[in-house]
Amino acid sequence: MSAALPIPLIQLLQVLTVAVGAPGVTGVIAKVEARLQGRRGPRVLQPYYDLGKLFRKEALAPEGASWFFLAAPVIAVTAYLTIPLLIPVLTSYPLPLGYMGDILGGGFLLSLASFVVATAALETGDPYAQLGSSRAKTFSAITEPVVLFVVFTVALLTGTDLPYALAATVRSSAGQIVRPAHLLASAALFMVILAETGRIPVETHTGTNEFGMIEEARSFEHSGPYLALLRWGSELKQLILFTILADVFLAPWGLASTQRLGAVLLAIAALLAKACAVGCVVAIVDNSFAKLRLFKITEFVSGAFLLAVLGVFTLYLGGG
Amino acid sequence: MDPVQAAPGVYEGVANVIAAVMLVIEFGMLRQALARDQIRLYVAQSALISVLAIVIAADRNLPDLYALAALSAALKVVAVPLVMRRLLGRSVPDDGDEAPGVSGSQTLSPATAVLAGIVLAAIGFFCFGALKIHGPAAPALALALAAAMMLVAFGLMIVRRDVASQAIGFFSLENSISLAALVVAAGLPLILETAFLFDLLVAVVVFGMLIRVQHGRSESLSTSDLTRLRG
Repeated sequence: MSAALPIPLIQLLQVLTVAVGAPGVTGVIAKVEARLQGRRGPRVLQPYYDLGKLFRKEALAPEGASWFFLAAPVIAVTAYLTIPLLIPVLTSYPLPLGYMGDILGGGFLLSLASFVVATAALETGDPYAQLGSSRAKTFSAITEPVVLFVVFTVALLTGTDLPYALAATVRSSAGQIVRPAHLLASAALFMVILAETGRIPVETHTGTNEFGMIEEARSFEHSGPYLALLRWGSELKQLILFTILADVFLAPWGLASTQRLGAVLLAIAALLAKACAVGCVVAIVDNSFAKLRLFKITEFVSGAFLLAVLGVFTLYLGGG
Repeated sequence: MDPVQAAPGVYEGVANVIAAVMLVIEFGMLRQALARDQIRLYVAQSALISVLAIVIAADRNLPDLYALAALSAALKVVAVPLVMRRLLGRSVPDDGDEAPGVSGSQTLSPATAVLAGIVLAAIGFFCFGALKIHGPAAPALALALAAAMMLVAFGLMIVRRDVASQAIGFFSLENSISLAALVVAAGLPLILETAFLFDLLVAVVVFGMLIRVQHGRSESLSTSDLTRLRG
């Protein structure tokens, strides 16, 4: 049959799959969204062309911005590309660097990336970019407790907070899938992902109206390759969050359990298919709800918080 | 406590998930502004309790519960919402789609109400969890969820200042008691269960009277008009 791949190569493939697949997943979501609205929509490959175009353009920086303004997109993308080493992307068995960090480690890297982008936006002096970074930080502060409670649920379920351990627990029996704690935590995580990827009901993804912008507004002053890195970074973040939801919580099946080439290729296809499926759900949510007013976002997050807290409650009574 | 917990099995899991979704729906009622949407949520919650009765009946081989599920669905999914909609429809003056005094009757902001509800749910949860009652049919967790639902329903009746929401809160309180009854005593004689259901009918009639009297007096369903004593 097919040859066995060396472990470091599989690890590299995890990063490459996320890096190369991320714009494609965004393209699929845009296509599905357009179809649902009765439009033809852009090509699925459009995000790749956009990135290619931006990478060829010249970069400008506002007067008075320091080196950090240009370093931030690079740091952010580096952080995003480190996370696929920590989570199960292609394999059901932990890879050597997989124990480098737990779920909190991955969360720290996501926060680091978001922090440097926000700081770079502050450097510009552009009011809209600053407004975006201020809002992004405010709302990430209120989604943080939800993430913490989801992590607590994982910890109570598995005794560790390693993503690989939870995926293995979920695979172990049907009883693990239907227990309320698992389902409530997954639902809370999905709501957080909607908020973090800037989707309706929190933020319009395609709008050009600055007043409703949160994350989108932060990249206003970046241009050329740096803007491309920021775009790519947000696509990476989206695919990483989808991977965590699909491969750790909802459907940790289809991962390679051996090092064989065939199994790994199948796992790549399965991952992209699962990410596109999550993307379709996100597109449907996008089309069925209205954007919330800025001050109503706390209500949305309080709903997610409720689910996560109830998940932990049910576990404490045993058996949940 | 040992952090690693064994999964309780598919049947318990499904029963617990249904109970948990009912609790989440109760929270939905707590923050829902319109009486129309609250009735919809009530229908969903009542449908779930029938589903739970069917699940228990199928797994524990209690054919009585099928009859109970059908009866409860007929009453709570069809009859009570119909009566409520008609009552509220009559109190709407002309072409308005919402009875006066219902929307904006929250005394707390939705996020605060949810946080208060979480505290109430926690009290119900841990008090009943500490009792360690194990019914023969469903797991103890579902009972604790029912207790949490009961307290949240009380909370709903307290934080809303209109008769319609309070009626819905009361009916969902009855749902949570049905849930607790299913969990603790699934083998209860059908006649007793039916008697409980007919108690609900009495409550519907009483609340119907209340809504009509209140609306006839003050042209509004808000109870804030009731704070002043009249000679």
